[in-house]
Amino acid sequence: MTARAHWRRSLSLREAGVYYALALLMAALAGFAAARGLPPYFSAGNMTNIVYQASLVGIISVAMTIVLITGAFDLSVASVAALAAAVLIGLAPSIGFPLALFAALTTGAAIGLVNGAIVNLLGINAFIVTLGSLTAVRGLVLTLTDGRSLMVEDPQVLAQMLAFESGRVAAFWPMLVLAAALVALGAWQIGKARATARPVRPGAAIGGLVLAALALAGGPGLLLPNPVLYLIAITAVAAFILRFTVTGRRLYAVGGNAEAARLSGIDVTAYKIGAFVVSGLAAGFAGVLFASRLGAINPTALQGTELTVIAAAILGGTSLFGGAGSVVKTVAGALILFTLTNGFNILNLGANYQGLIEGLVVIVAAAIYTVGGKGARR
Amino acid sequence: MALLEARGVAKRFPNGTVALAGVDLVVEPGRVHGLLGANGAGKSTLIKILSGVLAPSDGVMLWRGEPARWRKPIEARRAGIATIQQHIPLVPTLSVRENILLDRGGMLREAQGDRDEICALLARIDCTIDPEALVGELRIGDRQMVAIAQALASGAELVIMDEPTASLAGQEREAVYRIIRRLAHEEGRAVLFISHFLDEIVALTDTITVLRDGGAVLDAETATIGEAEIAAAIAGEKLNALERTHRASPTGEVALAIEGLATPHLAQPVDLTLRRGEIVGVAGLLGSGRSELLHAIFGSDRHARGAVSLDGKAVGRSPEEAVEAGIALVAEERVAQGLVPGFEIWRNLSLPHVGASGWLLDEDAERAAAERAVERLAIKAAGIDTPVTELSGGNAQKVTIARWLHPSTRLLLLDEPSAGIDVGARTEIMRLIRQLADEGLPILLVSSDFSELLALADRVLVLRDRGIVADRPAADLDEDALILLAGGSAGSDNREIAA
Repeated sequence: MTARAHWRRSLSLREAGVYYALALLMAALAGFAAARGLPPYFSAGNMTNIVYQASLVGIISVAMTIVLITGAFDLSVASVAALAAAVLIGLAPSIGFPLALFAALTTGAAIGLVNGAIVNLLGINAFIVTLGSLTAVRGLVLTLTDGRSLMVEDPQVLAQMLAFESGRVAAFWPMLVLAAALVALGAWQIGKARATARPVRPGAAIGGLVLAALALAGGPGLLLPNPVLYLIAITAVAAFILRFTVTGRRLYAVGGNAEAARLSGIDVTAYKIGAFVVSGLAAGFAGVLFASRLGAINPTALQGTELTVIAAAILGGTSLFGGAGSVVKTVAGALILFTLTNGFNILNLGANYQGLIEGLVVIVAAAIYTVGGKGARR
Repeated sequence: MALLEARGVAKRFPNGTVALAGVDLVVEPGRVHGLLGANGAGKSTLIKILSGVLAPSDGVMLWRGEPARWRKPIEARRAGIATIQQHIPLVPTLSVRENILLDRGGMLREAQGDRDEICALLARIDCTIDPEALVGELRIGDRQMVAIAQALASGAELVIMDEPTASLAGQEREAVYRIIRRLAHEEGRAVLFISHFLDEIVALTDTITVLRDGGAVLDAETATIGEAEIAAAIAGEKLNALERTHRASPTGEVALAIEGLATPHLAQPVDLTLRRGEIVGVAGLLGSGRSELLHAIFGSDRHARGAVSLDGKAVGRSPEEAVEAGIALVAEERVAQGLVPGFEIWRNLSLPHVGASGWLLDEDAERAAAERAVERLAIKAAGIDTPVTELSGGNAQKVTIARWLHPSTRLLLLDEPSAGIDVGARTEIMRLIRQLADEGLPILLVSSDFSELLALADRVLVLRDRGIVADRPAADLDEDALILLAGGSAGSDNREIAA
């Protein structure tokens, strides 16, 4: 394959479509905003707001992508997040915030472990098992809270929680440094690909440039909310593991062909269960952030979020059959969904259309990936 | 008048493969007609043409004396030909009755009179299963009966059975034989019976046809010939890709030692030793336990118990521990069990080895190793970045073998490495196997191509009915002898066929 063909492939609709869609959507919304004389859409405040709103779903959907890569499915994440939130709120006044945080995360991981063990050791379909735990864990939340909202009243604990969630961090220089590092990594990757005629991976370079542009647009006074930083950190760690480590390679192999992976000496069951534990842990962390944001938990909180999470992963091109997926693209998928929500809200485009449009976007994306995928193989 | 007559029926595929070179076959009513041939001789293609799945590219077929040409399976079925495939295609979630009447039209799920018809049908084949039982809950032998009843329900004049007994136990086989005889000798239908078991062919059939290399090489009354002649016709004077070489039997130290390896998939515990540089062939028919033996050794059969040691060290009973110890298994189904479809050649090649050198991937080393492997095995592809899904069968098979050409591999288990690939790739793979053994690697080779097995192996184990029935030096065997051991009455001690 020539270098040009490699470039064409990595910039194709199938490989990079989710980024094009996000850019196109934002451009369209910016156009609307300008035409109607609303405040500028591309303001630092609005951009930060979109990422902030997407952060909880983004964190869960990064883990969901890992589960999907191994060929499984986890519907229980929203219930697990609500349970972790209830554990945090319930325990924090008595054992303090750090220990309650630990308990909430452990709860999430434990439910992930139970889900994974039932799916993999008993061999029951993941869809069915996690549909069951979706309902059962929600029921557990209702039992624990006795159906009422829980609140933290101790002002000291409340302050700790709010600090954990609502803190703002000066991000201008760190973002520029990160952008420079990404551009350097990307340039090295592109140079190497050119020298050895390998497929090119321009993602890091382009991502770095976009990040630099965002930082410069935000200016030196740019502040990012903590959840956004958590999302960036979690995505970066997951992307690194999937791309550069043995663990990542094996996760893809397990999802791509479990039997081939098993006969290659990979402990397939351990990797599949591990993915569920990561999913439970991420859901637990999202629940902690949710509870800390409000200092309270409503037993029906986050209901239905699991579908948004899965929609984000599908928009990001993750295969429901396993073996393929990228956490960065999943986060871009989550951003598309929250950009839509945000756009409908601030531009007054009629919130009634929101569900219809979001649903159609997911279907169109899936169609592009499926049809485009067939074209690529032909 | 013959019921079915095929004259010079040939099949060439668009890619140039000649599956049938021109076969003559005459099937008479009231007789059981045996059809034999080695793998790749053209049996399945012929069955597919007779049952309307494939159209012949040349030749004529006469059905009751009239020229016939079926474009779809349903047309052959309407004419009166029912085919029972080897892997019985029944719907497991429907009842026996619904399966038998699956191709009936009509609005209602259960029409009046269906039940009586089914009961009569089942009684005709001495079958006592409940018509309302779900097929998925039946034993394999009963499913075979349901498939036969399904064929009869369509009023077939000719019933084609593709290896109906391969997966059945002794008693269940008996029942099938009884039905076949009744269909032919009492009801006057014709049965075309495909099998690899020579003893059952001799005991059951009235006429036989042997296919070899896409043509019929023997047509005879069964009573006039013996198993030995049939075996010779099947084997023929094949042009071998490799000449048989009588190399000195390796006398190196023992590499693999197996004691009392037992699993529910094998009839009795296995003891086996392999020396360094020795190629041991495993001969057996479908269902003989040949793949099961390899999976038991590798540890991918989780019910396998027993002592396996490699180079003096005990190997744990799991694939992880086997790979760790240097045991490599190239499984039979290269797509389902070998290749990761989303991975390029290089990531497929490094799959078992990526964990060996730390947690971070060393892509440069992986790619360099892949380049060397592609070159050594002459894998034809645009480059190591080619997805394995774009490779031809032979090249894909080479990838599954090349994966294990690694310094850490100390025992190679090969399951049908040359099945379904072209002659050129096959020759290269055979040469590679010999070369690896010459370098000192012990190899256990399963192949249903006995000529290939004899050309490569120093010693041959023969499996039959999930047990080892012979263990002999390859020099003492020829193909006829092997066919007789694997499928003839010489190798049968736990099978009885009432003539």
